[in-house]
Amino acid sequence: MADTQEGRRGFGTRRLVEAAILAALLLLPLGSGRLFSDFYIALCLRIMIFGVLMLGFDLLAGYCGLVSFGHAMFFGTGAYVAAVTWKYFSDSMWIGMLLGLGLNAVIGYVLGLLVVRTRTVYFIFLTFAFSQFFFVTANSWRLIGGTDGLTGIPAPTLLPGISLGERIPFYYFTVALLVAAYLVARRIVNSHFGRLLRGIHQNEERVKFLGYNSPLMIRRVFLISGLFGSVSGTLMACFQPFVPPDYYHLSMSGEFVMMGLLGGMGTLVGPLAGTAIVIFLGDFLSSWLKEAWMLCLGAMYVICILFSPEGLTKIVSNLSATGLLARLFGRKGPQGQGS
Amino acid sequence: MTLSSFLTNLLYGITIGSAYTLIASGLSIVFGVMGVLNFAHGSFVMLGAYTGMTIMNLTGNFWLSLTLAPLAIALLGGIVEKSMVSRLYGKDIPSTLFLTFGLSMVFSNAVLLIWGGSHYSIQLPAYFKGFINLGGIYYPKFRLFVLIFSCVLVAVLWLFLSRSRWGLPIRAGLFDLETVEAFGIDIYKVFSVLFIICSGLAAVAGVIIGSMRSINPMMDLDLITIALIVIVIGGLGSFKGALVGSLVLGLAEAFGAQAMPGFAKFTTWVIMALVLLLRPKGLFSER
Repeated sequence: MADTQEGRRGFGTRRLVEAAILAALLLLPLGSGRLFSDFYIALCLRIMIFGVLMLGFDLLAGYCGLVSFGHAMFFGTGAYVAAVTWKYFSDSMWIGMLLGLGLNAVIGYVLGLLVVRTRTVYFIFLTFAFSQFFFVTANSWRLIGGTDGLTGIPAPTLLPGISLGERIPFYYFTVALLVAAYLVARRIVNSHFGRLLRGIHQNEERVKFLGYNSPLMIRRVFLISGLFGSVSGTLMACFQPFVPPDYYHLSMSGEFVMMGLLGGMGTLVGPLAGTAIVIFLGDFLSSWLKEAWMLCLGAMYVICILFSPEGLTKIVSNLSATGLLARLFGRKGPQGQGS
Repeated sequence: MTLSSFLTNLLYGITIGSAYTLIASGLSIVFGVMGVLNFAHGSFVMLGAYTGMTIMNLTGNFWLSLTLAPLAIALLGGIVEKSMVSRLYGKDIPSTLFLTFGLSMVFSNAVLLIWGGSHYSIQLPAYFKGFINLGGIYYPKFRLFVLIFSCVLVAVLWLFLSRSRWGLPIRAGLFDLETVEAFGIDIYKVFSVLFIICSGLAAVAGVIIGSMRSINPMMDLDLITIALIVIVIGGLGSFKGALVGSLVLGLAEAFGAQAMPGFAKFTTWVIMALVLLLRPKGLFSER
């Protein structure tokens, strides 16, 4: 799914879309309270928080082709470490975030050494098994709340005097982190390392043959994508002053996969769109359909996999005039089979 | 631990293991033959349990619920296979996992809508209640029935795979699909039949487990993770592996709960991770 044409065809449009979305995000709080309720700010925050994780997830799953079914372990660890820090040691956002990043780097490094031995389904199983370790631990360890989770987490401060418990500073802090995460991810994707990742996705043997140490690349991208998840978890602990063991749960990891697949992996923008769709639609459907909304979301996801395995962003980008004509006359575009 | 409590645990482990075999062997066969990793297999177990409970409440006949519920779920399995799973034959395995993960989401929420979130259990008929004396060990009658019944079913399944007219293309398909097709066998019909049988078996396990433990909307995840661990330990696609893996897990559950309460689940994950690292293809891999 490497987009080599991306540079030629969609580059200008992409810049425009990026700028438009950034402007919208920056202007959104101005309308809050007047044009629409604060609820939409909270919604947007959730999308952005998970968006940070999904950018990292896309580096691993979309570009390198290794789908992790246990990415919740980084998210949960980021959240727990930050929560424990803020509750017992320090109220600084930065210390909580750095400690989370530190522990996740260790986890990413150690588990990376192990998961690198497996591919495809076995990679899925192993990441799944490891994330269950964390779930079981968080569920039974009294010190961090056990089944009830960690409650009463105080709001951290960004700098002395600026509390992130307030909506607006936290909102802009999250926007800044999302933009930073996006720029870092974009930079990685465009780098030599990013090209190697796509190469591993398409044909690992060939990458090895060219003299590159592909397991090392996989370990690196596993660690990096874990760090994105860590930041996301830390932000979540600040957004919701309550960290349940469910942050480690399988359904969390499954949701990340779902967001990625719905949006279209290997594009960076796709998983962000997928996150927005799942969260926005989730809120919209749950107020409209009450308890049946998860069912509808699941059904939508199933339909997406069956009829558009490339994700929704691919459909949108194919909806150019020529693509539409080709589709109408039943001619299939030059779609690669993935790996 | 006294000898009698040891033997009771051992028997309990084998009983639970035999019920797990019904689930795991179906999952393993579907994977081994069709290359479909069916995450919704746990949902079939759960739906079997709920349907069985409803039939039991309506008719009061345990045998009716043990036969009708699996038939209903087998039908559902057939529909799922024909309409969705069959579209992914020959595609990569992760995408079948993602599809069935979505399906399991649909099913578990459908269960939540129909039956609500409370815990239930299937009321056993009077003749299954109480204990039976097995040479000094008092063992629940129903568990003994489960042990015998599951062993018979597994044996029948094994005979079906190894001796019947259907078994040959299935085992051959494990190795070379194209050759099987070249012999003029409609392999896709075999796939459908197999998927239906496996979902029916899952529902049988659902009725059994629903009579021993609680029925709740989270049981699908619990059981599919157990079944996945089993087939990862045993080797994806291996019938023998599913059998051994189920026993290992059943025994780990029976003894682990006593040795380290609270961390019993931890041991199974450690076993799974170790097997994946040391023998990534499982202990009895055939694929």
